[in-house]
Amino acid sequence: MRGFPRHGAGFGDPATAAIAAVTVCALCSGAWLLRDGAGTHAPPQPSAAQARGGHDGQDGRARERPAAPALPPSPPDRVRIPAIRVSAPLTGLGLTKTGGLGVPPAARKNLAGWYEAGTTPGERGTAIVAGHVDNADGPAVFYDLGALARGSTIEVDRRDGGVAVFTVDAVEVYAAKDFPDEKVYGAADRPELRVITCGGGWSRGTGYQGNVVVFAHLTDSR
Amino acid sequence: MRRTVRPLTGAALAVAAAALSVAPAYGASAGDLEVSPASVVPGGQVTVRTAACGDGGAATGDADAVGAGSLSLAPGPDEQDASGRFRVPPSAQPGTYEITATCTGSGHRVTGDLVVTLTAGSRQVQPRGSVKTGVGGALGTDPVQTAAGVAALAVAAAGGTWLLHRRARGDGI
Repeated sequence: MRGFPRHGAGFGDPATAAIAAVTVCALCSGAWLLRDGAGTHAPPQPSAAQARGGHDGQDGRARERPAAPALPPSPPDRVRIPAIRVSAPLTGLGLTKTGGLGVPPAARKNLAGWYEAGTTPGERGTAIVAGHVDNADGPAVFYDLGALARGSTIEVDRRDGGVAVFTVDAVEVYAAKDFPDEKVYGAADRPELRVITCGGGWSRGTGYQGNVVVFAHLTDSR
Repeated sequence: MRRTVRPLTGAALAVAAAALSVAPAYGASAGDLEVSPASVVPGGQVTVRTAACGDGGAATGDADAVGAGSLSLAPGPDEQDASGRFRVPPSAQPGTYEITATCTGSGHRVTGDLVVTLTAGSRQVQPRGSVKTGVGGALGTDPVQTAAGVAALAVAAAGGTWLLHRRARGDGI
């Protein structure tokens, strides 16, 4: 091993140099893996100011934008929420055996769904859109839903070529064990939209404790 | 040689196409017209869906039986299934009606039953309860990543120890 005198001034020999390099690389990558792997990345949750009737300086109902006339029924193809950089195709959702809302296939992280036995977005009534906040691999389509603010815009592309434009009225979080079915799914006398994902804290044993629900109403169409 | 290759490629494509048409990733099963909801009150909305027209295939639906005329079934941009929607006339009588759809091109015909009832109340069936839209994959520790980090630090510790030993012996660094 002493046959490389040119290296004598630095690392004693190539083997030592290699081991030193490997040590430095392992130290850096190990530290990075542990720091990044151990960090929690909980999805954002809505603040009280985004709740229905919450105070953000003005009266919520008074500053609500006027409702647009209802559109004829047409299935939706895509939901877009520019404020949180969402643009996701929509698949049809049904009900589970227990009467709960079905969910899109979890493996496709940018796929959202709509309740196709219900109201189509833009039609008079309450249309329902749901998507995953995360899947086993990490954040999914509605990860940032809880960061949405009142007044934000949600656009739905419809099969008839039109676009239904909704304005967010409130962003709420509800516990699963006390879920307000009527408030979330109940009928409305104007075109409304609900966008639902998981939220409300997470624990290893029970998963997410509830849902983030965005309430919006139709304010424009094109 | 080309002559033998082409028919083989064609056969492979046919097999692949058959596999796609009989095994959609999700959605309606091939050969049926899925009617959702299967039971509806007069005036209600109905969605029909079929995978029988193949990936991206369209169809013409016939809901004349219940007085809703014809409708078109088109695939969504992200769906293999063709789907369409119609409204049951408010004047529809309770009963079971056959809804049909005919694939554009192949002419393949599928059917599904729609039950019109007056007893389901005047409202659509609403979902109940919370929605299972997450598993926690965005937070908490990833065991694989943690194990990899620990292993990398172990390698670093071993390498560092070895280098320190060499240095203590005055071997070269």
